[in-house]
Amino acid sequence: MFTDKIELKDFDKMAPEYKDLLGHVLTIQADCEIGGPHLYVETMLPAAPTKLDQLIVARTAAEEIDHFRKVARVAGDIGVDVSFVLSQPNQQRFVDTFRGLITTWEDNAVFGFLIDRVGRYQLEEFYDCSYLPLQRILPDIVTEELGHIEYGYNKTLELVQSGDEGKEKAQKAVDYWYVRALDMFGHTSSKRSERYRYWGLKWRSNEQARQDYMNEVGPILVQMGLKIPDPNKGRHYM
Amino acid sequence: MPQTAANTRQLDEHLLEVVRALHGAVKQGVSHKDDSKIMATAIQGCKEILDVIMEGNVQEWLN
Repeated sequence: MFTDKIELKDFDKMAPEYKDLLGHVLTIQADCEIGGPHLYVETMLPAAPTKLDQLIVARTAAEEIDHFRKVARVAGDIGVDVSFVLSQPNQQRFVDTFRGLITTWEDNAVFGFLIDRVGRYQLEEFYDCSYLPLQRILPDIVTEELGHIEYGYNKTLELVQSGDEGKEKAQKAVDYWYVRALDMFGHTSSKRSERYRYWGLKWRSNEQARQDYMNEVGPILVQMGLKIPDPNKGRHYM
Repeated sequence: MPQTAANTRQLDEHLLEVVRALHGAVKQGVSHKDDSKIMATAIQGCKEILDVIMEGNVQEWLN
């Protein structure tokens, strides 16, 4: 196991596998950061239920663009140009979850509640990681992601509490996004995940992170009066 | 030291300006919650900025 902490100046001395893995994970992270706004800006900015919600959609997008910027800077400094993801069609996103379009307010709410929470989990993987420039950008990004999660939770809860119709819409959106959230953690037997851990770039296995997520989200759904979807139904990455 | 990817700094600076402009527009709207005209102008301002970013013509931004 690699336990050192390295700076940009040490990067050239690292093994090719380390360089490849770091470049790869930064590219995916950048793609996910900008992939969010590409799902909801076009449709939700004009369609959010109030003007204040419209501005919060814009603020959320601004924060995600800023997260992209920070990740792109870390990647660019090691010679990895991630700018191509800014113009990438949704269908070509690295992660399946970002390959569609959000067209309803309940999907937008649940996306924040469940998918931004996965984003938080992915970022937490880099806490104490071996590449210090990546570690340094995390605190502000995670703080903002927590805000997105809370907003998504509050808007989902508003729907649930609005009556049977709202609750049904919320449950339908949860059913849709929950399995996608679980898939975002990747294959349980991923070899790449093992190598990330070997190099100190991540600290949990895909399955452990997924299980932690399920343990966190399940009780919240129950407390909200929603059902926990079948975690095996409709999954692509087991 | 590794060689920095082309346009890294320029893109960083450009996006930082974009983010600041968006936050400025949002703040303007949120601080005038009771004035629907100011809110609408702020939303329109955000839309115009975000439309450009969603188009993703990076080379145009940096030229």
